[in-house]
Amino acid sequence: MLHLLELLGSSALATTLASTDAALASAPAAGGGVIAAPMWASLIVALPLLGAVLSTLMAVMGVRTKLPALMTVGLLAASFVTTLALFLQLQGGPAAGLKLYDWISLSWGSGAGQTFTASFGFDFDHLTLLWMLFVTGLSAIIALYASEYMSHDVGPGYCRFFFAFNLFVFSMACLVMGDNLLLLFLGWEGVGLCSYLLIGYFYRKPAAVAAAKKAFIVNRIGDLGLLLGILSTFAVFGTIEYTKIFAIIESGVLPNGQKLAEHWANWVIPALLTCGAFGKSAQLFFYVWLPDAMEGPTPVSALIHAATMVTAGVFLIARMYPLFVSDPHLIVLSVVAWAGAITAIWAATIEMAIFDIKRVMGYSTISQLGFMFAGLGILSPVGASFHTFTHAFFKATLFLGVGAVMHGFGGQLDLRRLSGVAWMRGFGLVGIAMLIGSINLSGVPFTAGYFSKDIILADAFALPHGQIWGSTAVAWILLITAGMTAYYTFRTYFRVYAGPKEFVPGDDAELLELGRHPKGVSIEEWHKQHGHGHGHGHSHGHGHGHDHGHGHDHGHGADKTATQRVDFDPTTEEFDPHPPGAAMKIAIAVAMVLAIAAASLYFIGPKGGWVAGMIAQSSAALPESVATHAGGDHAHGTFFGFDPHKVMYYVSAIVGFIGILIAAVLHGPRGWQGLFVGSRTQAEKSRADAFVTLFGPITTAARNKWYVDEIYDWTIRTPLLVLGHILHFADKLGVDGLVNLAGQIPRGLGRAFQTGQRGVLNGYALSMAAGIAVLAMIALLAST
Amino acid sequence: MLLALIFSPLLALLGVVFAPRKSQVKHIALAGMLLPLAIVSYLLLNYSSWSGTTASSGRATELAVSLNWFPDIGLKLVLDLNSGVSVALVALTALLGPLCVIGSHTAITTRVRTYYGWLLVLQSAMLGVFCARDVILFYIFFEFTLVPMFVLISLYGSTNRKAAAIKFFLYTFTGSVIALAGLVYVAFVNAKGTGEWTFALDTLTQASQRLPAGTQAWIFAALLLGFAVKVPLFPLHTWLPLAHTEAPTAGSVILAGVLLKLGTYGILVVAIPFAPLAAIAFAPWLAVLSICGILIAGLICWTQTDIKKLVAYSSVAHLGFCMLGMFAMNVAGVQGSVLYMINHGLSTGALFFCIGMMYERYHTRSLKEVGGLAAKMPIWACFMVFFAMASVGLPGLNGFISEFLCVMGAFQAGDLWAAQGLPGGTAGNLGPYFAAVAGTGMIIAAIYTLYMVGAICFGPLKEPAGHADHGHGSAHGGGHGSHAGDDHGSLPTDLSAREIGVLLPLAALCLFLGLRPAPLMNLVDPAVKDTVAIVEKARTQAKATAAAADDNTSALTAR
Repeated sequence: MLHLLELLGSSALATTLASTDAALASAPAAGGGVIAAPMWASLIVALPLLGAVLSTLMAVMGVRTKLPALMTVGLLAASFVTTLALFLQLQGGPAAGLKLYDWISLSWGSGAGQTFTASFGFDFDHLTLLWMLFVTGLSAIIALYASEYMSHDVGPGYCRFFFAFNLFVFSMACLVMGDNLLLLFLGWEGVGLCSYLLIGYFYRKPAAVAAAKKAFIVNRIGDLGLLLGILSTFAVFGTIEYTKIFAIIESGVLPNGQKLAEHWANWVIPALLTCGAFGKSAQLFFYVWLPDAMEGPTPVSALIHAATMVTAGVFLIARMYPLFVSDPHLIVLSVVAWAGAITAIWAATIEMAIFDIKRVMGYSTISQLGFMFAGLGILSPVGASFHTFTHAFFKATLFLGVGAVMHGFGGQLDLRRLSGVAWMRGFGLVGIAMLIGSINLSGVPFTAGYFSKDIILADAFALPHGQIWGSTAVAWILLITAGMTAYYTFRTYFRVYAGPKEFVPGDDAELLELGRHPKGVSIEEWHKQHGHGHGHGHSHGHGHGHDHGHGHDHGHGADKTATQRVDFDPTTEEFDPHPPGAAMKIAIAVAMVLAIAAASLYFIGPKGGWVAGMIAQSSAALPESVATHAGGDHAHGTFFGFDPHKVMYYVSAIVGFIGILIAAVLHGPRGWQGLFVGSRTQAEKSRADAFVTLFGPITTAARNKWYVDEIYDWTIRTPLLVLGHILHFADKLGVDGLVNLAGQIPRGLGRAFQTGQRGVLNGYALSMAAGIAVLAMIALLAST
Repeated sequence: MLLALIFSPLLALLGVVFAPRKSQVKHIALAGMLLPLAIVSYLLLNYSSWSGTTASSGRATELAVSLNWFPDIGLKLVLDLNSGVSVALVALTALLGPLCVIGSHTAITTRVRTYYGWLLVLQSAMLGVFCARDVILFYIFFEFTLVPMFVLISLYGSTNRKAAAIKFFLYTFTGSVIALAGLVYVAFVNAKGTGEWTFALDTLTQASQRLPAGTQAWIFAALLLGFAVKVPLFPLHTWLPLAHTEAPTAGSVILAGVLLKLGTYGILVVAIPFAPLAAIAFAPWLAVLSICGILIAGLICWTQTDIKKLVAYSSVAHLGFCMLGMFAMNVAGVQGSVLYMINHGLSTGALFFCIGMMYERYHTRSLKEVGGLAAKMPIWACFMVFFAMASVGLPGLNGFISEFLCVMGAFQAGDLWAAQGLPGGTAGNLGPYFAAVAGTGMIIAAIYTLYMVGAICFGPLKEPAGHADHGHGSAHGGGHGSHAGDDHGSLPTDLSAREIGVLLPLAALCLFLGLRPAPLMNLVDPAVKDTVAIVEKARTQAKATAAAADDNTSALTAR
């Protein structure tokens, strides 16, 4: 084992070196020599778009089967296969491009920078392929999962769900593969729209609507930065196409003859782009939208709010990495590193306190995104990208598992109300999947999450002093966060999945019962019933019959009406956990296997693993000037005198185990399931309760997310709203009042002659006369 | 051809007045609206055959009509479509006309003849404005749009319609009288110089450009006042929320879709070309006013509970972007501004249609009384969300292209770029700060638009008292259940095929222009470049003057 770790250590060290070599090798690829990609590559984008169109058509035709889901799974799988085929074809070669048509094209001269072109065209380099492989692959898997998860809503809602799902994949593909910044922006806002539509999927729930709105608006704030960044890019570089921008960056001389290294553009544009990245990836003060986004259906949380969309910020910075590292002082990257580290630990503190297992996952995503940003910041694009990749799979696995629990226990998410889920009939696979996901997230040795997190930690410690401001402090924060991560992850695992079997079904229990039994009543109607109480007669006969799609045989009469079921008491014995069906199980199993398999990527390919190879061949590779700094032995940072790349394997493993051990002590069930240190015997009570009382206000504050939402409400939202009211008042009284007053003059004069409506016409005549008088005066003035 | 285009609605007016049965009126009106649409479609399809060269929009096309009117004072009836901007706006007008008629079938059931008659007159007048190439003719058409709109608001509006109509009329009329003064003054100066009276737009444009900066400032101020009221440019916008709120649906659609564009069109083809020097000097101030409009109107939107008023205020904010782009006075900005005219007409027009359809069913516009309608009217809600997204500037839909170009125009138009020799900038006196501040308007737009959509479409279903008593048998099934004994008799719960027919073309255009704006951009490109060229010429001229004259007396030319 020692030998193996030694081996790993050297390969991790080689990561940065490999990047250096490859940067040299890939220089022509990044420099603009783009070969033409085959036309069929556009299928990656076209298939999801087709899916969106077909879903709309199915909604129009009133399809009330699972057809939209089948179609989506098929199309997205085909999209994945296309991506894979393209990857195999382009592997190791230069980037390929494909232009469909000019989207926006404008010209005001023939000189440089006097033509603005944003085309609907795609670049396929190793960075985009890396992203697209997991985006299309995971989306197909999660679509399969959703086909069952959303089955209570078969009908228009189902079509709506898969419309947004397909549109999301389309937008994400545009974001990732677009060959210019504006097409990225199209995808960027497009995924934002889909996120809005899907968070607000249960649109009768005010919380869901508010969360959707919040997500869109907070993202828009970041988007403004991104948009200004795009405009600045055009102003400075005279183009927004990546290949051309990178060619200019590589030459080091801007079109105006100035050196890029001495020009403000090398930090202003990255700073603006970073704003957008922070918004989309929920970093720093932008994070508030992501926890609320958990209001959306769980497949959506898994795909959009964990695996893919939220990593768009990481992608943006990786995409524009040449510009970020063109600043000799690396100011923006230092900010990114610190922002990532602070976000990581900040979110971790909240996770340790809250009880909602889905929100734990939400905050954990924020925290892990913090790791990725820190990775980008400390000049480890390989670590950041690898962590994005592994995180996509293990976090999706975790979310799919949480979704299965929600699905099975009536939306119960409180970890104090669930225990020993893994031992319940039909939930075995979920338990295994959650364990796999948890060990990945905690960084247990030899898991994918362990390797990817390790690269970031080691690179952070290895960075020479002064290159990134405070990189050692960043590294320490990340290391502590890694321990916290292990704690909160296994806190959930020990509480919910291990231990004695015990549960209280959630509020949505009756909802699920309704969804399953009198088939005609959908969640939507249930919400309507509860949203406002005018008990209108429901129409049950949608032609569904009473087929029990899940093979359950309860005592509920199938003909019971919704109104009768309202007084269903979720705590009664009637409730049976409802294990996932075949589609969900397959999806969970595949995601789980991929999460395990992702670890092997560390060992295949060139030095430093497959992802390192991919990054090295893309524009995100560290340029030589920066890399020699980072990799050079003379200035190499150390971890207490040791080479970080060698010892970090042990350090992070130990930190992880300590976290898990604390979780076991505080939350673990009695016996082997709690690693023999736990003592929990019931769902609700654990040793941690003592700490909660001990730290009283602190835990309360953390549980309330440090009141950040409230602070925003009082410092931004309310003042703006009050300002709006003041302005409206001023508009009515002040601006309009003055005009009205002026309007009274001719009208009053008119009234002097005649009253009533005809006064108006007199006013009309008078103002005409006044106009003519003005006219005459001007003429008089002009003629003299 | 142009005469047929403009006067075919008037032809239908005869039919409307003398139709034997009331029920035939709407069909005749529709025919009268479809005729110009057919002509415009024909013209668009054969654009290259009649437009001659697309390189310059100044010269006459084969469509040109020139008739003597009062030869003694040089008054002529000159109609032409020699500018892509005109063509685009004529097309927009011709498209919205028939949709307004179709959209009014159930809303207007009394005094049908008067209603459709005035609608047809309005259509003629609007088409006329965009075709007129003689300033007096332009002015007459411009003013004549007021009367039909006055009647439509005061007869068919809601509770406060009289006050709204009067305010609308007096406000815009006062403004345009001042604009007339400016126009006549230019004609007067020209006549004094050449000894011959003429009101031809092109001649006067050239004559006016030669005037000194100080005189241009007065001309510009006069013209601007007239047109800015119409736009409306902050702070001259206060007539608009009231007029929009009180107007019948078709009135709001036309008001937002076309009438506001008369103002921006006037500034683009009259005010700026007549007084480019003044336009250059005033541009930053007007851009500031535009931005004030964007931000202030946006924040006001957020406080509205009357959904129609909300959309009305949002028009003020949107037109702020349009004006910002125009006063950037570079290709990107003006192009964006022109696209904004079209795109705003489509998306906001469609939003007013949507709100009208909701109003017909619930007879309230208050977000306090009605909400969560996605549960009951899913098709309607889909359209509502779609057009809201178009209006908020989501990339992929039309609103984004124009908003982006307007902001880009403002961003580029600054000396900052030229001073550093950076390639992507243009001459001008705005700059990135203008763009950044205006950009916050995009955030505010998201806030108020999502607030509106969230309240009206989503959340728990909320219906006015008296409406909830009905049994909602078909809450689930889409548009095929109708309420017996409901006060809106023939209307189904969700949209009818007719209503979908009104919204669908608009939605299709929003999507098409969002993904493939090139045809529209190419159409207006020559006209945009002509305007920018005029400004550029004036800019160099101003610089030359400033350099030549040591005593830089005129503060206007200093820039």
